[in-house]
Amino acid sequence: MPRISLTVNGKPVAHEVEARTLLVQYLRETLKLTGTHVGCDTSQCGACVVHVDGRAVKSCTMLAVQADGARVTTIEGLAPAGKLHPMQQAFHENHGLQCGFCTPGMVMASVALVQGNPDPTDAQVRHGLEGNLCRCTGYQNIVKAVLAGAKAMRT
Amino acid sequence: MLKPHIGDSVLRHEDARFLTGRGTYVDDITLPNQAFAAVLRSPHAHARINGIDASAALAISGVLLVVTGEDWLKQGFGPIPTKSAVNKKRDGSPLNEPPRHCLAIGKARHVGEAVALVVAESHAAALNALDAIDVDYEALPAVTDARKALEPGALLVWDDIPGNFCLDFELGDKAATEASLKASDHVVELDVVNNRVTAVPIEPRGAIASYDAKTDCYTLYNATQNVHANRDTFAEKVLHVPKEKIHHIAPDVGGGFGVKNGVYPEPALLMYASRKLGRPVKWINTRSESFVSDSHGRNQMSKVRLGINKDGKFQALYTETIGDLGAFCWTVGPFTPTGGSARTQGGPYAFKAMYYCSKAAFTNTMPMDPYRGAGRPEASFQIERIVECAARKLGFDPVELRRKNLIPPTSLPLKTAMGLDVDCGDFPQVFERTLALSDRAGYAKRVEESRRKGWLRGFAIAPYMECTGGGPKEFAGVRFQKDGSVELAVGSQSTGMGHETSMPQILAARLGIDFESIKYRQGDTEATPLGGGHGGSRNLELGGNAVHQAASEVIEKGRKLAAHQFDTDEAKVQFEDGHFFVPGTNQTMTMREAIEASFDPSKLPEGMAPGGLDANTTYERGVISIPNGCHAAEVEVGPETGVVRMVGYWVVDDFGTIINPLLCDGQVMGGTAQGIGQALLEVAHYDPESGQMVTGSLTDYALPRADTMPPMTIEYYEGAPTKKNPLGVKGAGEAGCCGAPPAVVNAVLDALKDYGVTHIDMPLTPEKVWRAIRAAR
Repeated sequence: MPRISLTVNGKPVAHEVEARTLLVQYLRETLKLTGTHVGCDTSQCGACVVHVDGRAVKSCTMLAVQADGARVTTIEGLAPAGKLHPMQQAFHENHGLQCGFCTPGMVMASVALVQGNPDPTDAQVRHGLEGNLCRCTGYQNIVKAVLAGAKAMRT
Repeated sequence: MLKPHIGDSVLRHEDARFLTGRGTYVDDITLPNQAFAAVLRSPHAHARINGIDASAALAISGVLLVVTGEDWLKQGFGPIPTKSAVNKKRDGSPLNEPPRHCLAIGKARHVGEAVALVVAESHAAALNALDAIDVDYEALPAVTDARKALEPGALLVWDDIPGNFCLDFELGDKAATEASLKASDHVVELDVVNNRVTAVPIEPRGAIASYDAKTDCYTLYNATQNVHANRDTFAEKVLHVPKEKIHHIAPDVGGGFGVKNGVYPEPALLMYASRKLGRPVKWINTRSESFVSDSHGRNQMSKVRLGINKDGKFQALYTETIGDLGAFCWTVGPFTPTGGSARTQGGPYAFKAMYYCSKAAFTNTMPMDPYRGAGRPEASFQIERIVECAARKLGFDPVELRRKNLIPPTSLPLKTAMGLDVDCGDFPQVFERTLALSDRAGYAKRVEESRRKGWLRGFAIAPYMECTGGGPKEFAGVRFQKDGSVELAVGSQSTGMGHETSMPQILAARLGIDFESIKYRQGDTEATPLGGGHGGSRNLELGGNAVHQAASEVIEKGRKLAAHQFDTDEAKVQFEDGHFFVPGTNQTMTMREAIEASFDPSKLPEGMAPGGLDANTTYERGVISIPNGCHAAEVEVGPETGVVRMVGYWVVDDFGTIINPLLCDGQVMGGTAQGIGQALLEVAHYDPESGQMVTGSLTDYALPRADTMPPMTIEYYEGAPTKKNPLGVKGAGEAGCCGAPPAVVNAVLDALKDYGVTHIDMPLTPEKVWRAIRAAR
């Protein structure tokens, strides 16, 4: 079995993995980081979005071996323990989540979106989140949260 | 310290764990020594199962168990019964109910039906075993359309159920309605199809069962909306064990919308497998499986007739519906096209007479069960489409025609021709406020702006009136702890609606205690002796009033304790704003002080035990409440592409008392999004030849995305709190699904009116809209 070494949430990790192991399986099952969710089997829902070397990636669409040597951030590592990232705080204040299942992926996708476009318009946020499905919120408060989170990240 | 009031937008308590990845959904739970299950599902819509050879599967390393339908029957397990509140035909005989076993017996009757269960050491081994099971299927022709299923000579889904007929139903005065139609100046008629959809909560269903041989008890972690009712069915009807032997826990549940309310076969299979293997067994549905094994909703075909006079006054409404049930009566499936769709016929309009009748049929498709609204969205769509159709045909302004026929507040309270108790509300005021919000004055200019860009613009308004539903009783327990914390346990259950915030908010507001001190428990058969789970927009109406009632009991007990402390008569002690006091004296005691005193035996009145302020109470609903409101939509339609863009959306809702406006907005936005999805995007489509669900993945089944949704303005009319319950609440969860589909569809047809397009069945996909434009040109 191939051996991989990577940095997850700032900590170096190394494991032998079956070559077919998806990154999301490695995160959830091997590292027990269950904040990253699986909502579909066709890479549509976006519940599994994490950051790989700073880019938003659907971790169900990447093999763990492809993350060898990478720097991975999951929802658990977005902010120091006990603190919220400005985007997490904005989702809280704007009621940008209900059941919470899509939320980790939605927050991770939003942070990457804003990192690439620090002052997005409403339409850019809506377009930028087209790879993330939410069935509870109707997206209104998610968009509001991302705009508020972007503002907080700028200051 | 947070001391909220009723009506405050308290931010959610549960967010902290959901936002940091610390939520615990069923797939996040790993029990020691757990095995993994996978379900073999029928690839055929209809097939005889001549045999199942599992020997190759069992030979795979790590495979522990294969269970087939025959194995299941040998255990003596029972079928899952329907609990539809309407369970008789019109002639009084019981509905035709085929046995719904947890695995297919002899025949498979829809794509996705469970045929066998595999359990293995690893998920991968279980999947390999699925491929190795050899099922000798003999494919049979299938019927997937309920209208065809009821035709004479239709092939049968069940050999012993003639004509695929489950039951028929009627409500209202048929003779009076026919007479009124006859006497009307005009009768307008329309065929309305309410498309088959499915809920698609982003968390798929899943469960872990763990059997403990020492105690002979099961623990079942399950992504369900209804732990108590489902436990009872698993115990009493399927596995034949005392219900106390099953501890049913719903951990964090990632959305439900009705689809996680019913009794599914997989948890029962897991409990059996766990007992047989002596170890916990986990199963998580894939999304592809979810499309063909989660219940579907709607799918009603109706003929609607409206009697209307020359002056525009509605006279009579006559609706005939054929409802598709799929291959079985699911948990309450037969109720939706019968009682569920009948009650709110006619919406908020005045009628002299109404009549509703329906037939429900079996087909070779995934069975139907409640989906957000369960019958009320269908009724709302029927009335709003026929009203729009009448306005168009007879030359009335659609806004004026609606305005003319709304039930005036002076007519309330009234009982509708469908028997619905409408106690309070102000439909005209809600309607006018929605119109005002939608800026009708600026509309002509917006139409022109759209035209200049090459788009057609349309507007529609859709008032709605619906009702609550779900289990009529709810439990709330308030248990004070010595460390100052308070446990609040309620038998209703959040699958995202924020009960962990709204329920403690009610308790904290009533008692004047710290919101943060309240620990909330739900979704656990050991936390509450009974519980109705979630369904029918019932939580505030049942759970909220149960908490209110529990708080009242705490206050009563506190008055006794305070009277003892004040050395006065209990009748003199009052409670207000978190304080017990005797008017005209300086004797006062906070609720917090009373709670502390309740743990000090020296401070207790006679007959009160330490911790004696606890309350365990059951609230029972008298009459269901009547949420109502109005939606208005503006759309742009591309004449060359058929693309519909949502460009404006306004909602005014009368939900009675609003407990937490922030959470309420979330319900309205989410329900509206699902309604827009049904109107424009979503359909669970079956190929009529093969019986395959051709929209069976998220690639094919189109969910609304962030850019589907328009800017929305939401307001509440709070002038009519209902007196049907102490909090004055009317239920908010499903209203969006009632208002949105007719508002959106009628707005699109308004945009196309110059082409003469008068009707398109949902969903209004670009292709359908484009074809309608082309056909009309």
